Amino acid sequence: MKLSLNWIKDYVALPADLDLKKLAYDLTMSTVEVEDVKKLAESFDKILVGVIQEVLPHPNADKLRICKTDIGNGEVKEIVCGGSNLQAGMRVAVACPGAVVRWHGEGEPVVIKNAKLRGVASFGMICASSEIGLADLFPASTESEIIDLSAFDVPAGTPLADALDLNDIILEIDNKSMTNRPDLWGHYGIAREIAALYQLPLKEIPAFDPSGIPAMEIAIQDPQRCNRCIGAEMVNLSVKPSPYQMQCRIWKVGMRPINALVDITNYVMLATGQPTHAYDADQISGNITVRHAGNQEELVLLNDKKLVLTEDDLVIADSEGAVGLAGVMGGAKDSILNTTNRVILEVANFEASGIRRTALRYENRTEASARYEKAIDTDRCDQAVSIAISLFREIYPDLEIKAFTDNYPNQTSRKEIDVPVSWLSHRLGTDFTQEELSGLLGRLGFQVAFSGDLMHVTAPTWRSTGDIAIKDDVMEEIARMYGYENFQGETITTSFSGAINQLDIDLERRIKEYLAFRCGMQEVFTYPWMEDHYIQALSQDTEQMLAISTPPSPTEKYIRSSLLPNLVKAVSENLRYYPEFSIFEGARVFFDKNYHTHPGYDPSESLPEQRKHIGGAFVGDYKKISGLFRESKGVLENMARYVHMESLEFRQVTKPVWADETVWLNIFRGEVQVGEFALLSKKSALAAGIKNSAVMLFEIDEELLQPFTSRTNVFAHLPEYPMIDYDLSMLVDSGITWAQISEVILSKKKPGNFLQSCEFVEEYKGKQIPENKKSVTVRLVIGSSEKTLTSNEIESCAEGVMKILRKKLDAELRSK
Amino acid sequence: MKEKLASLLREGEAKILAAASETKLQEIKASLLGKQGSLTEIMKEMPKLDKSERPEVGKLVNELKTKFTALIDQQRENFMLKASEIPADFDVTVPGTMPSGGALHPITQMCYDLNDAFRSMGFEIYEEEDITSELYAFDKLNFPQNHPARESMDTYWLAGHDTGATNEKLCLRPHLTGGSVRYMQTHKPPYRFVYPGRVYRNETTDARHERAFFQYEALIVDKNIDFASGKVMLKSVLSKVFGRDVPVRMRIGFFPFVEPGFEIDMGCLVCGGKGCSVCKNVGWIEIMPGGTPHPNVLRSAGLNPDEFTGFYVNIGLDRLVMMRYGIDDVRLFHSADLRFLEQFK
Repeated sequence: MKLSLNWIKDYVALPADLDLKKLAYDLTMSTVEVEDVKKLAESFDKILVGVIQEVLPHPNADKLRICKTDIGNGEVKEIVCGGSNLQAGMRVAVACPGAVVRWHGEGEPVVIKNAKLRGVASFGMICASSEIGLADLFPASTESEIIDLSAFDVPAGTPLADALDLNDIILEIDNKSMTNRPDLWGHYGIAREIAALYQLPLKEIPAFDPSGIPAMEIAIQDPQRCNRCIGAEMVNLSVKPSPYQMQCRIWKVGMRPINALVDITNYVMLATGQPTHAYDADQISGNITVRHAGNQEELVLLNDKKLVLTEDDLVIADSEGAVGLAGVMGGAKDSILNTTNRVILEVANFEASGIRRTALRYENRTEASARYEKAIDTDRCDQAVSIAISLFREIYPDLEIKAFTDNYPNQTSRKEIDVPVSWLSHRLGTDFTQEELSGLLGRLGFQVAFSGDLMHVTAPTWRSTGDIAIKDDVMEEIARMYGYENFQGETITTSFSGAINQLDIDLERRIKEYLAFRCGMQEVFTYPWMEDHYIQALSQDTEQMLAISTPPSPTEKYIRSSLLPNLVKAVSENLRYYPEFSIFEGARVFFDKNYHTHPGYDPSESLPEQRKHIGGAFVGDYKKISGLFRESKGVLENMARYVHMESLEFRQVTKPVWADETVWLNIFRGEVQVGEFALLSKKSALAAGIKNSAVMLFEIDEELLQPFTSRTNVFAHLPEYPMIDYDLSMLVDSGITWAQISEVILSKKKPGNFLQSCEFVEEYKGKQIPENKKSVTVRLVIGSSEKTLTSNEIESCAEGVMKILRKKLDAELRSK
Repeated sequence: MKEKLASLLREGEAKILAAASETKLQEIKASLLGKQGSLTEIMKEMPKLDKSERPEVGKLVNELKTKFTALIDQQRENFMLKASEIPADFDVTVPGTMPSGGALHPITQMCYDLNDAFRSMGFEIYEEEDITSELYAFDKLNFPQNHPARESMDTYWLAGHDTGATNEKLCLRPHLTGGSVRYMQTHKPPYRFVYPGRVYRNETTDARHERAFFQYEALIVDKNIDFASGKVMLKSVLSKVFGRDVPVRMRIGFFPFVEPGFEIDMGCLVCGGKGCSVCKNVGWIEIMPGGTPHPNVLRSAGLNPDEFTGFYVNIGLDRLVMMRYGIDDVRLFHSADLRFLEQFK
């Protein structure tokens, strides 16, 4: 919301030396967030009123003229201008060198310089309204029309800002910071707050005295929805522009002046926060009723929207039907027309939530509905009527008020709250005297009485529509008036109640740090919603997926039940810049099943299954798949050891739908399947736009992992006698697995044998190796805890291993 | 004889000190002390001396021998100290190789930094599911029935769960605060916990607005907390995380679930509070709402608001990280773009 400081000054006398920065700061700290303080005149720097003395043709251009223009102090300058309405004697806006304008009101601001136009030197420019941001205040009928300021009786050389009443400060308030303060939605409300902050007198607005004016019929069908409705019928009016000062004020705070009748209603709303509406009385037949709309009743609004109403909507109606949508917008047929000379002014108070429902139902939120839906107090109608009628009288001296009625079934009652003073001191950490409390609250219009420890507070009507409801609200008023910065905080002490021990939280951090720091993976974040394309690429079943009802895009409605589609998308996108990388993500996944309640939570709530997963991708050249496989498998195999949890095992039980035919494993903790680890199938990879890269993926259900309560490394005595590494290479059928080989070798590990363990060293297929065979190198560890072995003993141990490998696996061996 | 010995001492010492290598030193040692060495030659002349001179010369010879041996040993030690098998033209200005290592997401880093700071003050870390009912997202937080945030404009409701009573309507959580009520319902007071998590808003995105972003909630509920103490706590946490004194100010703010409510600003660290484009020239950056939990929120958590009170803040993690590094586009956080993420190793 924009506010004019000059307008605020109508209601509160601000000190002449008011520091604007301090005002903005104080309002921001105590009342509402001031986003911007703008000196309006700065936009019109170096723009003057000039008087054209002579209009001469341009020697080189038909459409341009040379204007000899008096710019004050006896200076007459030649200015080249293409304006269509140039005339000698006309007052115009002259942008002198250094002024900032926008060509034809568009594009970036431009600084005016002395220039030659088609060979003729020009001093600055004569401006069209759009070029200096005044198009709404001085609408031009054609693009080449310049502003005619002849109506402003000022001498040549007067700064434009002075001539046009633009020496004002505009405060821009963040609307979000005052959604709870309906009393602040107008200049008077902010003036009242400033008066309270600085303890300045606030101008009273006397109520309009209708005595002697005949009544008119205004019926309120449902007093629950309409608390008050005032009607005033006025005659001897006409449609004409409103006085410049009124237009200018309306324009300065962001609305467009239209005509005097409409401008008065807008002015009143901007002044008081109370919306009003003017109807053409000639279009109104019979009496006015505020009633519920009929089901399917039709109404065409001022903005030409044709509505089919429901019974929940409230309308202003005459004997023929609805003439306006209450609290939202007037009807097209019965509002101010070009021919209007009789007006019925409506000033009413409606119940807030009903107005909100209606405005939302038709997606037709207006300045009026925005104010009504915050709950305005009923007394504000009095201010609105008073200001409106004095404006009508000022602009239309011949006006006659033919009828006036105030139908007022529900007056906003002042909220009364008891606040224990001891409770206040306890909460605020500061003691206040009764005088201090009365003073701080009194400035805001609260009445305060004390009885023992109790402070009895009566809120003013303008704070009694929900804003002030409980004693905590009163505490806030005291705290903000005292100044939050003035409270001295003390450190909060800890009471010892045992060390914090959160195994699951710590496990997740250890896993992430393991993957990032030890395994060189990069953590990424992706959205919970997935593109259909990637869901399909990974052949994911959408049957048990949840979807968003208004998704970010039509092809991103499903939210993830697996981390993999979005990880694959991230892989695909990063492959543009990196041939090899590894990434991981930890996030929650969602399933449209297993709806459940949770002990301790509200038993009426039922939530779907949601689980924490951690997933990752290792990306490399497809030709180096075995290296990539071992590297990524190593990350998973060793995770348990480094993050202190129960170990993981790998078995082939059920192939993931997206996995390669051969390279896949299910991950188990004991008998519990906790995840999957596999190569992304060629088909899925191609569908995801991945061509020559191998992508190893894993996904683990973090909630199925079991952290240890402490570290579990096992200490073993250092060997007293040497352990010998003994490498063996063998040729075996290419179908023989490492699992088979190690099982055969380890069958020799038994009491009396010196074999301690065996390790995989490498595997090779290709040149020099017969087809259907592979070369496997293993490392035997041979030794004894009782003596140093002789070379015969070592050889004989290795020989035993070779023998059994030949026998069981038909291996061709050569020792290394 | 004595002169001979004196000149041998001078020559010998000079040779030893001038020796350029171990091999050279060996040669010198042989030439002085060896079987055909100069000193041995001199000793061979001993029998020719007068008997009375012999003891004195013998003593001198021995002294010389000891001196030479000591000097040679010392010189050898010097060689050992300087010994290297590496050619002298080895280039030490060649750059090192990068250790292979990944990184945590910059938001996770910030989250862990905050976790560490809060845990050091005795806060538990809480986590909670992302899908919630309207009951917890709004009702239990004192949001009026007609609050705009309840509408689909702001909240991602789930298809098939977007109508009905508030306990039946499900959404991706629009904020974390509903989860805090769940914590209080399932734990015994007093409370002291932090609650990091991702939240979701149905918004149009731009450099400053995202549909998924991170909040970090901290809540203390106890019998003796006043809001100014909360400010002290917050200031100490931010100062620890940013490694320097961070000015913090609280100003009035309205949120249905707190009373009184604050907007909490921190001094702009980019310009030090002087005003710059990051802080829109005000020197302060709005980073979190906060306040005292509204009595209705405490009630919905099963607490008596006359007995308990507290202090609550909800830190915008994204904004804090943007502030930390001067990042100007919030959408980078969910981009999974390694060119961005690798900068925070």
